[in-house]
Amino acid sequence: MTIQDIGLFQAIGAKMDFLSQRQAIIAQNVANSDTPNYRAKDLVDVDFSSMLKRKTGSNVHQVSLKITDSQHLGAQNDSVSVNARKQKNTYEVAPDGNAVVMEEQLIKAGKNSMDYNLMVNIYKKQAGLFRIALGANR
Amino acid sequence: MSSDIVNALTISARGMRVQGARIRVIAENIANADTTGLTPGSDPYSRQTISFKNILDREMGIPLVEVNKIESDKETPFKLEYNPDHPAANSEGYVKLPNVNKMIEMMDAKEAQRSYEANLGMIEQSRGMISRTIDLLR
Repeated sequence: MTIQDIGLFQAIGAKMDFLSQRQAIIAQNVANSDTPNYRAKDLVDVDFSSMLKRKTGSNVHQVSLKITDSQHLGAQNDSVSVNARKQKNTYEVAPDGNAVVMEEQLIKAGKNSMDYNLMVNIYKKQAGLFRIALGANR
Repeated sequence: MSSDIVNALTISARGMRVQGARIRVIAENIANADTTGLTPGSDPYSRQTISFKNILDREMGIPLVEVNKIESDKETPFKLEYNPDHPAANSEGYVKLPNVNKMIEMMDAKEAQRSYEANLGMIEQSRGMISRTIDLLR
């Protein structure tokens, strides 16, 4: 059993993956803030609470079991799939057709970074709990 | 996983590079703001304009911004100045001066600087995300 088989860690990993992909998309928007006819893109939001439920079992209090045999009752093996879409509604479009609002992108980037920080801290906390259970933290 | 953040770094770095190219073009325009032709009646320095495009980089598999075209501005007319003693004066005594408007160039330079800083900010942020991820090992 690796740490990635634990539901919460899986969910944190998926969210971090999502956030780093989003970081790349926002970086692209900022880099193209002067490209004619470029429209800002963003990732479609993923419902992480329902994903967490799927990862950890139907009930949040339950934790799904590790499957070592094909005859075990299965947990879904699903991963988050994200796709980038162009923004339909924007605040303004420049005369050259560029529709990147720099403030909006920087706020998104800040929020993205904060979310990532949150995930890293949850990960640390959870790993700390394991460390307590292992008795290594004394 | 973190390759997405590395991609974000590459995208932002490329954004900075094209803004640097833009600054170079602007510097060229300002430096040549008084460059007239050499022979009587000849055309002076013509203002250069730069445009960007977002193109898929096949090697990296991500779209990167790059310089689309640097071309001379043919729409803005040259300024005419009455100066019969000038070596480039035509038969009526008028000298053609470059179509460079220093105010426009300065404003453009400021905008390029801001875009450069925005890309730099994105790099710092992505770098923070990477180092926070690495800190998980501790």
